[in-house]
Amino acid sequence: MPLVTLAELAWSFFRVGLFGFGGGFAMIPLMQKYAVNEYHWLTLKQFSAAIALGQITPGPVAISATFIGYRAAGVAGAVVATVAVFAPSFLAMYLLARFYLQVRANPVTQGIMHGVLPVIVALILSVAISLNQEAVTYVWQGLVLALTAVLAVKNRIPYGFLILGSMVTGIIITLAGRHF
Amino acid sequence: MKPGPAEEPAGSPVPGWREVARVYLKIGTVGFGGGYAVMTLIHDELVTRRGWLNEQRYDNMLSLAELAPGALTVNLLAVIAYRLGGVRTMLLATGALIMPSFLLILLLAGALLAWEGVPVVRGALEGLTAGVVGLMLAVAWELTEKFPHRWYYYAMGAAALAASFFLHLDPIWLILAGALAGGGKAFFTSRRETSGKKPEGGV
Repeated sequence: MPLVTLAELAWSFFRVGLFGFGGGFAMIPLMQKYAVNEYHWLTLKQFSAAIALGQITPGPVAISATFIGYRAAGVAGAVVATVAVFAPSFLAMYLLARFYLQVRANPVTQGIMHGVLPVIVALILSVAISLNQEAVTYVWQGLVLALTAVLAVKNRIPYGFLILGSMVTGIIITLAGRHF
Repeated sequence: MKPGPAEEPAGSPVPGWREVARVYLKIGTVGFGGGYAVMTLIHDELVTRRGWLNEQRYDNMLSLAELAPGALTVNLLAVIAYRLGGVRTMLLATGALIMPSFLLILLLAGALLAWEGVPVVRGALEGLTAGVVGLMLAVAWELTEKFPHRWYYYAMGAAALAASFFLHLDPIWLILAGALAGGGKAFFTSRRETSGKKPEGGV
């Protein structure tokens, strides 16, 4: 039933948006949990493509939700997933704008962020390891991985260009018939 | 680019939602690649060129945006739009911001899923996956600079990694546990130093 799928998309991506503390990449672990492990909307390889293509667009990582929603339930799914993943951001910014002074003067707010961020780092690493085990099989992929990581630190090169570069590398290596 | 140190723009005009949406649509279209470049673009468009808010306001909005879940750019632009014209401007303008990416990724998703079996597309995917894992490592590395370098934060991170990787615990519970630990620590530390000065928060 598509309606059930739409409801599952809405609830899943609302939670993805709600717990993405520390930027868009913090959403990836929960996205993987729901989209790949729980509801099987797409395979792990398709999931990594969804994240990667999200980097090519001007928008944030959260736009990968659109891809997943489309795969699960067509254009309606794309719309529902997108609205759901951004809704918590709006809600949070609305509340923060209203209770600005209380929040900012409160040392506990900072403490909460300091406690959450190490967990987010761990969760991102955990997804990176499982993606690496599943989908990085060739030596050239390992080289692309390492080069991307080094060039991305400190934003030396914008993420979108790095992703385009790794995609073009994959195409060239396939066309040259030199998978190593 | 007009230089000019944080001067209050003369009688900064209040733009209507259409105007805000138009500028956001532009940012959402040319803000390719994400990260620092886009932050510069936002600052140029809203503070330097249009004077919709001054430097101090911008910095305050930025520190608020960092507290909220989700993409920094979207949070920042959402709260600025809210300050400029309320909830309606926030929803419409941020919708305009996201629209170009939404359409582009629909197109890419359709193409990718239709031609998944083609060898060249498979090669492209293998490259993309490697690139994404590389980006995730870089992001994880950079996030470690946003919390204090004390042993207990690293211990928490290591425990969370083990809990997630080996025990497959729900990420939400791990995040909540981190929030509780960090918030609790700050709460008790601030009570102990309670006789000291209170931090001032000015708008």
